This record gives sequence, structure tokens and C-alpha cells, in this order.
Amino acid sequence: MSMKKIITLCLLFFVLSIAYNNSFASSEVGGKQETSLNEKVGTKNLSGVNLWIVELYNNDRFMYAVVVVLVMAALGSIMAFGTDLVLKHFGINVSRISHSE
Amino acid sequence: MNIFYIYLPVAGVEFNVLLLFVIGFCVGVLGGFFGVGGGWMITPALNIFDFHMDFAIGTGFATIFGQSIGAVKKHQKMGNIDWKLGMISIITSVIGLEIGSDVIISLEKVGEVGVIVRWCYMFLLTALGAYMFYDYFVLQQRQIKLREEENKSGTKTGQNVSRTKFSERLHRFNLPPMISFPVSGIDGVSIWIIFFIFLITGFLSGFLGVGGGFIIVPVLVYVIGLPTTIAVGTSLITVLFSGAYGCFTYAMKGRVELLASFIMLIGASIGAQVGSTAVKYIKGYGIRLLFAITIIFAALSVGTEQLYKLTMQDYFQMMAAIVLMGTTLSMSLVIILRLVMESKKEIKK
Repeated sequence: MSMKKIITLCLLFFVLSIAYNNSFASSEVGGKQETSLNEKVGTKNLSGVNLWIVELYNNDRFMYAVVVVLVMAALGSIMAFGTDLVLKHFGINVSRISHSE
Repeated sequence: MNIFYIYLPVAGVEFNVLLLFVIGFCVGVLGGFFGVGGGWMITPALNIFDFHMDFAIGTGFATIFGQSIGAVKKHQKMGNIDWKLGMISIITSVIGLEIGSDVIISLEKVGEVGVIVRWCYMFLLTALGAYMFYDYFVLQQRQIKLREEENKSGTKTGQNVSRTKFSERLHRFNLPPMISFPVSGIDGVSIWIIFFIFLITGFLSGFLGVGGGFIIVPVLVYVIGLPTTIAVGTSLITVLFSGAYGCFTYAMKGRVELLASFIMLIGASIGAQVGSTAVKYIKGYGIRLLFAITIIFAALSVGTEQLYKLTMQDYFQMMAAIVLMGTTLSMSLVIILRLVMESKKEIKK
């Protein structure tokens, strides 16, 4: 299975989990009670990326979750590619292996 | 050494960057090598350094998701992934997981279940580890005998030495429809057997509240009869999907500290590449032995945590964390050393 298929499957899974989570989110946000979904973090003394992350966290939890997933996926892929290059540079090349016990 | 401390605004704690990197790196090495997520390492490690438990779990999920992308890619390159089996495992495990979590919710209405769950977890880990030790020595004896027979007769017997008698018996169960997994070298097995096995692993994941890599890898090897390296690669598909789901759902609830996950993921991605590459150099039963040692120590850690819950003596909790982190660090070191030694030999050739 190619990497494209993995990404497609992940996206499909991701969309399904969004739908699943949204059903919970909409039922909880409407309530008066303070829940994990409407908790706020103070922005005092924050600047730059930290401020942006916290504002996103405070204002749009759904977008925060999307950003977290995308950042993790992108960084994971970039790091995998980069580390692969470094290992190749040291002569550790990975290819199909025989499955001996 | 305050220069290494950063403020993590969402979790509201100050944390050492180097420590985050090292935790991530070790989790990545073990995850890539054993085909497990590593939530059992990240959660207590972050928790002991002042991360609130739910933030520790959520941040761990985000890291596991990111690092498993690279590990899956690498194992795929090595031909270690059986996608067909992996997909069946995800679908069936979800059903089992729902049943397991429903059982927990029902039991919670009756009384405190945490103690029971921890006893079950400890028993399961100990039993798995003990069986893997036993099999390691039995398997070695079987291999030596087989080689001797082959040398005497001058022919190859073609017998699969890695497969257990139990898995061979399961393969003889012919209730249709039958399904084959060519990548794993399985010609035909009843689909009901596969469904039942993953229903049980899913149930255990839901009941024990763990990701499942620890259960899935031994099941794939000893019950279904997969070669160890394919079991490791295939298990990572489940880790990737559960990581993606866990990452999103915890982030939606505001329980992921993005900055901490980001730093840990840098370490974890490097570690995952190192761990996955090491699979190329360490034979199947070598992986099984290291896995057995790791889960025995994990069981010891759960047992010590159990003592803390029963006695409320702080030193038991500290001891549990030390056992866990000591195991994680030393296993990572063993894997890296083996990789360095074996790759040096390969480069010389």
C-alpha cells in the first residue's frame, strides 16, 4: 500500500472522528456547566506562537484540534523523511528484508 | 539550567525541553522496534513531572500519532506490513473496545474498578512475558534440533519453526469463509477465528484502558502465527489509527499541549526511525526476548503502582515511575547499541 493510500485512509478516519466528536461537542457546549470544551487559558505575558496557540485554544477548539492533528502529521512525515536521509548518509539503507526468526 | 525550561501555556506548567526530547526519543525507539504506541511510557513520565493526568494522556496521543507515521512508512519499506490483516484488526478491535469500555462503565456503577483493572493488567503482562520467555528458550531448542536434522539429512524440512502448536491448530479450523494473508505467509484461515481474536484484543484494550500494541504483537505472533517483524509492522497500523483518533478527540477536549507534543515528536520521530531500522538487524526471537523483558518490567511497575493505590505511600509511586523510566531508557540503549554494532558490520562488508 502506497503512502498516498495511508494518507487517504487517515483522512477518512479523521473525518469520521470529527463527525463523532462534533456530536458530543454540540451537546456539551450548549450547557451552562463549565466543561473541558469551554475552559479558557490566560493570555497574559504571552506573545508570538504561544499567543496564537492559546487564542486558537480559547476561541475555536475544533480548529485547535485540526491544527494539532495537521501539525503532528506534517512534522512526523518531515522528520521521517529527514531522518531517513541522515541514516542513508551514514550507510544505513533500509530496503525489503527477509523475515527470518 | 533555567535556559532549558519553557512555559507550556495550555497545560500551564514549566518543563525541561531536553527532558521532553529524551522522553520522546525513547518512546520512538521502543515504538518503532516493538510496534507499540508507548502511551504506557509517556503518560507516567509526563505525569511524574507535574503534567496533569489528562494532559499527559492527550499529549502522549499526539506524539504517538506523529511518530507512528514515520514508523509505518519505514516498516512498509521493509515489507513488514500486512495491510489486509491490519485493516481487519482495526475494524474488529473497535467493536471489542466498545464492549470492553461498556463493561468498565457497568462495573463502575457497582464500585471501584481501578484496583481490579490494575490486577488484570498486571496478570496479563506477567503471563505474556513469562510465556514469551518460555517460548524463546523452546523455540531456540527447536531451531537447533531442526538445523541438526537438516545437516544430517542434507535437506530442508520446510517446517515453520516460529509458529506455535496453538496457531497451527487454529489454522486447521476450517469453518468458511476462509481468508489468506500472503504477506504474512498464511495460506488459509477461517475469518471467524481472526474476528474472534481481534474482538478479544479489542475487549482487553477497552477493559484495561490501553492502546493495545502490547496485546496485539504477541497475539499476532503466537496465536495467528505471523513472523515477528510483520507482527511489529502490522501492529503499528492500529497504533497509527488509534493515535490519530486519540490525538483529535483529546485536542477537541482541550487536553493536548501542542508545544510539548511538538518537541517530543522531534525526539520520537528520530527514535522511531532508529527503532524501525534496528528491526532489520535483530532477528525475530531477539525482538521477542527484549519484548518479554520490557513487559515483565512494565508489569512490575503496574504492581508497584497498585501498592501505592492500596497503601498511599508516596515512595511506591516514585518507585513505579523509576522502574518504568529505567526500563525505557535501558531498552532504548540496548536497541541503539545493537543497531550501531550490526550496521558497522554491514558497512564494513
